[in-house]
Parts: sequence; structure tokens; C-alpha cells
Amino acid sequence: MNAALFATVCLIAACGLIYELVAGALASYVLGDSVTQFSTVIGTYLFAMGIGSWLSRFIVRGVVTRFVMIELVVGIVGGFSALLLFLTFTWTSAFRPVLYGVVTLIGILVGLEIPLLMRILRDRFSFKDVVANVLTFDYVGALGASLLFPLFLVPRLGLVRSALAFGLVNVLVAFWSTHLFRDELPNRRWWQGASLLSALVLAIGLWKGQAITTLAEEGLYADPVILARDTRYQRIVLTSWKDDLRLYLNGHLQFASRDEYRYHEALVHPGLAALPRAQRVLVLGGGDGLAVREILKHPGVQEVTLVDLDEGMTSLFATHERLTPLNDGALRDPRVRVINADAFVWLDQHEGRFDFIVIDFPDPSNYHVGKLYTSAFYRLVRQHLADDGFLAVQATSPLFARQSYWSIVATLQGAGLRTFPYHVYVPSFGEWGFVIAGTVPYQPPHTLPDGLRYLTVEGVPALFDFPADMQPVPAEPNRLNDQVLVRYYEREWAAINR
Amino acid sequence: MGDASRRAFLRQLLAALAVASPAGAVGLGGTGASGAPALHGLTRKGRAITGGFADTDQAVGHALRDGRIPAIGAVATRRARVAIVGGGVSGLSAGWHLDALGLRDWLLLELAPEAGGNARGGRNAVSAYPWGAHYLPLPAPDAVHVRALLREVGVLHADGRFDERTLCHAPQERIFQHGTWHEGLEPLDAAPAWELAEWERFDAQVAAWRESGAFRVPLAGAPFGGSAARETHALDAITADVWLRANGYRSPTLRWWLEYGTRDDYGASLTQVSAWAAAHYFAGRPADEGGPLTWPEGNAFLVRHLTRRAGDRLMHSAPTVRLERVGTRWRVHTPRAVVECDAVIWAAPLFVLPRVLPGVALPVTTEYAPWVVANLTLDRRPRERGAPPAWDNVLYGSASLGYVSATHQSVAQPRDATVWTWYHAVVDRPARDARAWLEQRPWSGWRDEILADLARAHPDVAECVTRLDVWRWGHAMARPVPGLLARTASLDEWRPAPGVLVANADVSGFSIFEEAQWQGVRAAERAARLIGGG
Repeated sequence: MNAALFATVCLIAACGLIYELVAGALASYVLGDSVTQFSTVIGTYLFAMGIGSWLSRFIVRGVVTRFVMIELVVGIVGGFSALLLFLTFTWTSAFRPVLYGVVTLIGILVGLEIPLLMRILRDRFSFKDVVANVLTFDYVGALGASLLFPLFLVPRLGLVRSALAFGLVNVLVAFWSTHLFRDELPNRRWWQGASLLSALVLAIGLWKGQAITTLAEEGLYADPVILARDTRYQRIVLTSWKDDLRLYLNGHLQFASRDEYRYHEALVHPGLAALPRAQRVLVLGGGDGLAVREILKHPGVQEVTLVDLDEGMTSLFATHERLTPLNDGALRDPRVRVINADAFVWLDQHEGRFDFIVIDFPDPSNYHVGKLYTSAFYRLVRQHLADDGFLAVQATSPLFARQSYWSIVATLQGAGLRTFPYHVYVPSFGEWGFVIAGTVPYQPPHTLPDGLRYLTVEGVPALFDFPADMQPVPAEPNRLNDQVLVRYYEREWAAINR
Repeated sequence: MGDASRRAFLRQLLAALAVASPAGAVGLGGTGASGAPALHGLTRKGRAITGGFADTDQAVGHALRDGRIPAIGAVATRRARVAIVGGGVSGLSAGWHLDALGLRDWLLLELAPEAGGNARGGRNAVSAYPWGAHYLPLPAPDAVHVRALLREVGVLHADGRFDERTLCHAPQERIFQHGTWHEGLEPLDAAPAWELAEWERFDAQVAAWRESGAFRVPLAGAPFGGSAARETHALDAITADVWLRANGYRSPTLRWWLEYGTRDDYGASLTQVSAWAAAHYFAGRPADEGGPLTWPEGNAFLVRHLTRRAGDRLMHSAPTVRLERVGTRWRVHTPRAVVECDAVIWAAPLFVLPRVLPGVALPVTTEYAPWVVANLTLDRRPRERGAPPAWDNVLYGSASLGYVSATHQSVAQPRDATVWTWYHAVVDRPARDARAWLEQRPWSGWRDEILADLARAHPDVAECVTRLDVWRWGHAMARPVPGLLARTASLDEWRPAPGVLVANADVSGFSIFEEAQWQGVRAAERAARLIGGG
């Protein structure tokens, strides 16, 4: 009996400390400045415990009942505290009030625990033994928790599930107390039921922890998330709202099904339709297969090679029932060969020339992707281009990232290519830029394939006209040893993003 | 950090925390967003790291020193016009230039199983990596021999353009200071105004030195006469430390940065290095060089080309144990063969020469800097914060020189695994003591020191390293101490014996590729004159 009582002290002390650590660590993760976060969380928490201790004087009767009730409430509130805080951060802008509110609430409840427990034990032991033992086990529990937290809980369970696990401990203490103090607890059956129910809720939380956190992720996207997948290289998220599907890679919008036809028709046809004899086409990037869908509208094309780094991406767009209708099953067309390889390395290691090459990489937002926008890369691409062929490059926005766009143009020129810049309006992206490049002069096409929704023969030449606010600005070419483009891009988009 | 990017960070965090895997904590640091002290404990358990000492020549060198290699065995005799002893950059360059002069009948004798000297490299499943010299600054237009070699290997194009893929990719360097990485090498985060003023004053000084034309690479091209030269020669009488004090430089960041440079290029501290040599490091090359050139395996790339050209004229694992004069000719004894030749180009370190050519007295003494180079294989990238990974990653205040990433020059998108080459010039004790210490210190001592050094910037580095190999260079390079110019002058025309020519960066007094190559080329020219062309 005694051992059980003091084990209870030990456990509730550990739970109390864990909630405090969870709140401190979580606030540090999302807000940074860990010294401030830990200091204010600990201060608030200790002060709230003081309030709890003070409030304990007002509990006169039914001390055991109150104790069991407090254990249940602490278990639920503390257990779900990490999840609640994550959701608050992603969905609302009231993170700090909720943080300190939750910390205060848990602190008050934990502050009530020990005084109540001491009063329960008062009649069983001498006063000096109660104080000595309770405080001893309180501190022992705190030590255990503070060691367990960084060494085991966070690396193994993560913050959300650590909190849930200790919520479960609190609830089990409540259940155990209904047995320990059964003589002083009216409505014992009722409290046992409540304990089991709470335990069930927390256990479900533990079990479904991951699903719940992806719920939090939805807060990052405008529309409901219908698919989220981590591949080796990136996180793919697909959202859906009515008939509009949106694809995000690492949080960046890649396309919206409502208007992607504008982007992909503009990327492919002005260049490819100007090459009526084109048979072999290479696509670098573009694992969604949407550019390939446009390419296959040209009956003369016999062979399309798609080189995309991410097998997870291409297999998703070759098989997923919501995605294959978007690219008309292009990735399973017999004319299409899908290769999962690094484009730079693949071009290095393979021979062969193509009549038309589509380059559709993510924007040059870091030095790694930036390598795929360098003169060294375009020189290599040029070696794979038929003498009278063209390449078409997605080249970010000439309106939002004007110097970046013209830097890409300058880079292509630096690789010895003639350039033919153009742009198109895509509602979900804004004004978007492309460049056709080759070693021969370019003439807009006289015909276009059937089945286009945006481009017209008359409209194509107009794409090459740049209004005053998108016209060329001085820009350096991007080189492997000096990636000016990444710096331009970072500066220009930083000026736009809020 | 704005709320938007915090939210993006949170998204990764949620994913990382929800997956209750041992690697759950990895996602935290990868973003560099948080630096909570609490995070330090959140790592998975340390793992066993394999590795050991990779240096092998030491044993042969010591056997040679102690006379444990039989001087003359019953081995085959080979004949050649010229025997080159030592297959480092100067020896290989001597052979390369003899070929250019039409004199193809030479043999190169190398002690180690592989040529390259301190420009050797290694390779594992992840990447090739250097064991020593790992880059080449862009040569000035008048560095004709370096340029000729670079044209030969396809790095310098006919139109004067350097191959973009060989130029060090961006970002080139970063420095870890005040708990985070910063772009560039200058430790100027939150530097006070008076320090910045000293930096500016030093920049102006370097510009003036450069303007004077007294500092050139290679050294032999520099004018030795003239008032500007005389003025700068006075610098060679004192150490860099004395010069800095005399000129009122007190900035700790500037001093650290200068010493980083002298440790990096010369294996010498400010209190060891000649002020002239230190000035040469900063003023010897154009200000905006746009380089350097580098390869995953470092300068071993160039060595491999020269080795290929040498073909079967390169005899490896053939330590020279004696040079023997026979009439007007020479016999070079090695355990593998005896080479009879008209001339010997001594391209091995100078200090070895008296051991194989009894009676020869070196006209100068040479202090050799001990170095330690380690290659660490990582199976994932450790946590860090601040500026993105660069080629050269330097830790402010560290005794090491930081690390170079061998996979940086890859054009592929980054993979998890990489190889880091960690450099350390031992300057904190007399060279002889340092060598004794290198011999005794167990591998585990290096492992712990290296991981502790890197953990400042990458708290979980120990969990990412699978293998750590260490190369101890007892005599890595000649250290340019004061008196360098007089020393070089006295070696300039020195012949150890008739028909024996010296060619090693030791002759220049500092070990850089250009000097080593120049010494080899010059010895080849002298040998050709001596024996009458090809």
C-alpha cells in the first residue's frame, strides 16, 4: 500500500514535468529563441502551480473525488496539449495566448495534486513522514521525467505522442486511485468508467497520432489534403477543392488542375509545333506527365524520354486514379520512356540527340536546383540537341522575379544558344516566363495540334511581346562557380512574399 | 524568421515528430530553424565508427631512416638518361617537362605504392576524396606551365575559359561563428567598428603589396631587385606576428583570419611564419580570381593525369636507398631495381638526401610542418543552422582548418551520403615534438578530437559518421620561416653533386602546386642542358 502510494506521487510528478517540458520545447520549435520560451513557460507554470496550491484550501470536502477528477482532467488536457498547440499554431494566430493558457491550466491542476494527496495521506502517516516522503518522490519523479524526456521520449515518440503517453499515465493514476482510496470515494463505478473512457480517448490519440498531425498540415494548405506522401526527395501533397486539384512539392504549388493547361500548352507547343519534323523529344523534370501529355498531341512524335529524379512522383502520376486523368495516362503511353535519374548526371552519361527538349525544373530557389540553371548545364543540354532543334525552359516569372528571368535568358546565351523569350498568364501562378533556345532562328508555328484549350496560331507570336514592366533588365549569367540566379531569385521573391 | 516559413518548418516538424522513428529528431535540425539547448539531447544513440590510420609511407620512411632497407640487393639493372627520385608533384612535373623537351628516356622512382606525394587522394563507394592538397588557384596569365598542364587535362579551353565544372561551385566557403554558419570566410559577424577599420587598413596594405609586383607565383618570376622588392624583402627578417604588432594590428578576428591563411597554405602560425611569406599568401595572386579549381579527389586529379603520362616509367614502391657515383654516371639503388643514369633529379624532400648520398651537406635547414588530414564518410547530413553547406567549411576559433566536402563538386542533386576532409596543421608545438606526438597518439584520440571539433557546428555529427580515416603527415611541407628568401637564394644554384639536381617545393621553401611544378620543370631543363637534350 505505501509503495503504491508513493509510486503514485512519483508518476504524477513526472507527468507534471513532462507537460512543462513539452510546452517549452514546442514553443521553442515554432517560435525559436528557446531561452525565452523555456523561461516564460517554466515561470508561468510554476506560478500557476502556486495558484493551484493556494486554491487547494478551498476544497474542503470530497478530497479523494477531487483528486481523481483532477487526474483525469490533467491527463486529458496535458495529454492533448502538444497536439492542441501544433494545431493552434498552424490554424490560428493566437498561439501565444493559447500556449500560456494551457500552461496555466495544467500548472493550476498540477499545483492542486500534491496538497490534495498530502491531505489524503495525512491520516495514514505522521505529518513529518508525509511531507518527507511525498516531496522525496515528487523530486525523484521529476528527475526521471527530465532524463526520460530528451533521451527517450522526444527521439522515440515525438512531442505529440510523449504528451499523450503521459496523459495516459495520469488517467491510469486516476483509475488506480479509485482502487487505492475505494473506501473514501463515492460513485466509485462512475469514476472508473470515466477513467477508462479517458484512457480510450488518449489511446486513440496515440494510435492515430500521425493522422492527426497531418490534419494539422491541412491548415497549411488552402484546400483539403487528399494525398500526402514523402518520397526520397520531397514531400508531395495533393489538395482538392471541387474540381480543382493542386499539387505542392515541399509546400510549393506546382500546378492547379483548373489552369495548368495554360502553363503546359505554352511550355510545349510554341517550340514543338515550330518543328514539324520532330520525332524524338526529351523532358527533363516534369514528373507529373502534363508536359508529356501536350507533347503526345503531336502525331509526328515517336519517342518521348522523361528524366525525373523522383520515382515516387512519376509512379504516382502513372498510377493514381485521381492523377492519371490529368495527364491522360501519358506516362503509360508506349511512346513514353520514364527514367528516374538525376538530369545532370543522366545527360553526362548518355549519348543521343533530341529534336525538342523540355526543361521543367522547380524554380532556382537554392544552390542545388540552381545547378540545373547554369551555363554548364545548358552547354551539356546543347550537346543533346539536334542541330535544328529547340529547347524550351520554364524560367520563373518575368514579372515577380524579373532579373531572375533575364538571368536565365543570359545564361542560355552564355552557353552559346540563341534565345526567344516569351510569357503567358496562368491565373494560379500569375505572369509566367519561358525561353525557347537553339542554334538556329525560331519562327512561330503556322499550325498547332488539335485539342488545345488556350493557344491559337494567331496568339503564339503575341506571347513573345513583353510589356514595359517585364522587359529585359541587366542580369549576369548563372554559373556553377557563381550562382547569381539563386541570389536574384531569393531577393526578388523575398520582396513579394509576406 | 517570418511566420510563413515557420509554418513550413512546422510542417516538416510534425512529420518528423509524428514518425516515432529513431531518426525522428533529424528533421529538426535539418531546417536550421531552432537552436534550443534542449535539442542537444534529442539525438539517437552514438554508433560505432570504423577507421584507422591510412598513412603508409611513414613505415617505409622510418625503415629507410633506420637503415632497415637493404641497400643493395640482387635486383635487375635498368638504364635511363635521367632518374627522377620522388613521385610528388615536382618529380612528376620534371618527367612531364622532360617529355616536352623531347627527352623521353627517364625513370621515376617513388617510395610509396602510389605517386602523388602530398597531392594524393583516395576513393570509396561514396566519393573520391583528397589526402592532402585539394585545390589550385586560377593561374595568372604568365604561369605558363600551370596553364599548359590545365590545357592538357581539358580544364583550360582554347578560348581562355576555365571549365565551369572544375571551378569551385557556389557557395564556396562559409564560416561558423556565434552559433551559426555565415557565408564567406571572414569572421565579421557583429564585428565592432575598430576591428572593421583594421580589416580595411589591411586590405589597403595587401593592395599596395600586390601593386608593387614583388609577390609572384611561382616565386622565381618575382623581381629580386628594385626598391619595391628590397622593401618587401625586409619583411622576411621578421615573423608575421612581429610585423602585425609593429603595425598596430590588434583585431582578434583579423589575426585569426590571417593565421587561418598561414596555417592553411604554410602549416605555420603567425609566430612561426615569415612576414614576407604571409604577405605573399595574400598579395601573390590577383584580387578577384574567380576560382579556385578543384576536384572531388583534390589535386590527385592532376597527379593521376601525370601518372598516366608517365606510364611504365613510373616505378612505385621503390624507395631510393642510395645514390652511387660510377664514373661520370649515377646508380640509383632501390629494393626493386638499380637504375643507371646520366643525371639524377632529386624530387623527394631535401632532408632525405643526406641519408642516401653520404657526405652531402645541405646548405640550409628546413623546418617541416606536421599535418593531420582525416576523411570522414557520412551516411546522412548532420544538423546545422545558418548559411547553406559550402565547399570549404571553416570553424572560427578552431585549431583545425575545418572541412572540405568531397561531394560539393558533384553536379547531381544532393544525396544523403558524403565525404568530408578535415584538415589540421599542427602549429601549437615545436615540429619535432609534434611528430613524436603524432606517432604516439592513438586513432581514437583523433576520432574524438575531430568529432568534438565538428560537433560545435553539427551537434549530431557523431551519429552521421560511419568511417573516419586519418593520415598523419610528419613532414607535410617546408615551413616558410623568416630567412626564406636568403634560403631560397642559397639553394637556387646548389648542386649536391655533379649530375644531381634538386627539384622539390622544399627548394622554394613553401609547398604549393605552382612552386612544386616550377621546381620540377626547372630541374628538367637543367638536366636536359646537362646531358645534351633529347
